[in-house]
Amino acid sequence: MPQAAERKALQKGLTKLNENMVTLAELSELAIRKAIDSLTRLDGDVAREVFTIDQEVYGLQLEIEHTCVDLIALHAPVARDLRTITTSLKITTDLDRIGRYAKDLGELTLQFSPSARGAEPELARIREMADRTIQMVDTAIDAFVKHDAESVRNIMQVDDVVDRMHDENFNELVRRMTEGSLKIETGARYILVNRYLERIADHAVNIGMRVVYMVTGDWLPRERAADRAKRIPK
Amino acid sequence: MSSKLAADKVSAWYGTKKAIEDISIEFEEHSTSAIIGPSGCGKSTLIRCLNRLHETVPKARVEGKVLLDGKDVYEDDPVAVRRHVGMVFQKANPFPTMSVYDNVAAALRLNGVRDRGTLDQVVKRSLEKAALWDEVKDSLGKPGVGLSGGQQQRLCIARALAPEPEVLLMDEPCSALDPIATAKIEDLIFDLKKDYTVVIVTHNMQQAARVADTTAFMYLGHLIERGATRELFERPKEALTESYITGRFG
Repeated sequence: MPQAAERKALQKGLTKLNENMVTLAELSELAIRKAIDSLTRLDGDVAREVFTIDQEVYGLQLEIEHTCVDLIALHAPVARDLRTITTSLKITTDLDRIGRYAKDLGELTLQFSPSARGAEPELARIREMADRTIQMVDTAIDAFVKHDAESVRNIMQVDDVVDRMHDENFNELVRRMTEGSLKIETGARYILVNRYLERIADHAVNIGMRVVYMVTGDWLPRERAADRAKRIPK
Repeated sequence: MSSKLAADKVSAWYGTKKAIEDISIEFEEHSTSAIIGPSGCGKSTLIRCLNRLHETVPKARVEGKVLLDGKDVYEDDPVAVRRHVGMVFQKANPFPTMSVYDNVAAALRLNGVRDRGTLDQVVKRSLEKAALWDEVKDSLGKPGVGLSGGQQQRLCIARALAPEPEVLLMDEPCSALDPIATAKIEDLIFDLKKDYTVVIVTHNMQQAARVADTTAFMYLGHLIERGATRELFERPKEALTESYITGRFG
């Protein structure tokens, strides 16, 4: 059992881990916000800022991984300490992926031709989906920082809404490309944007579920979205 | 799994000082159960009640029942109880004037076994079960105290196994051993539960996590929580358990 001095050493490591996790979460959320901003305004400078943030996210993720491995190796943590460390280890991957998708969105911004600037009705739909997705990421991250399991217990249901928006957007994009009112190149890029946002929401769900485990020790039952959809009235 | 040994509302005193209070706990057959808790919480007292060693302390007394296969050991002969419920102590304590062989054979001789062939057989079997045979088979006549600390502790385990007990109680059996000797004892505990019901008191929580199927946490003479070892260390139900195992007190 960790004695007083040992507890202090472990606590110091946990405090550092928490500070880095908060920074990582803030950076990932900032990356996605800037990515959506760059996309809706087709602003290349903001898109390039996302690339820089993504690099920082990656570097911090590695540092956090090392901290977690050190804490496990040196202090043999148990109970909530162990759950906090293993949850952090897993969440860093989700946050890194969110940062990576933000970077991909930034790259798409640079690829969009100026002729696509704000012209498509798709942009409004994407913006709405992005708002929902960012809200999910924000909720999940806030729950992690505040150790609040209750606020994320229904995060899978929120994700169902994003999934439905994804499907609707996809169908609409295909329809418009088929009828010729949307250029294939532009439509294909919007399909990617649509997909990236849906994946970011999935990572927010992962974070939320892991926060519940970290705080309570209980695993939320994982249910396939398709099965949930059967129960949700359209 | 069925309950091999059970404490039913057991309380114990040293004179007027109550050391444990109203403890009920079951130990499943062919399992290893760990008892953890800070010094003075009553964990050693509890296991000493299980084989009626507690009452050998002057002015000590016990209330409640200890059921071995459903029968109260306090209604049986204490010597017979200890034959069924063996014990290994914190510090290896081989009989100092006896050889390795005689240490293991001692309990049988006390029970009147004189036949050399039977004794040879039991000594060999017990030393094998204690994973010591290969190391001492050529020096059975040498003093037990001449062995290393880890070997002496395994000799004491062999001595406890010789009367073929059904339950083996271990009171911090590795606390005086180095990590390699500790690993050997832990390996041994893992094997022993195939034939015995093992109850181990330990200060080392990682040891409990490594060897025990279930772990109980005691504090100030009370049983606070008991559950599957993995559950107790991953998500304890009681805040007191959480505080102890994470080192916030103790």
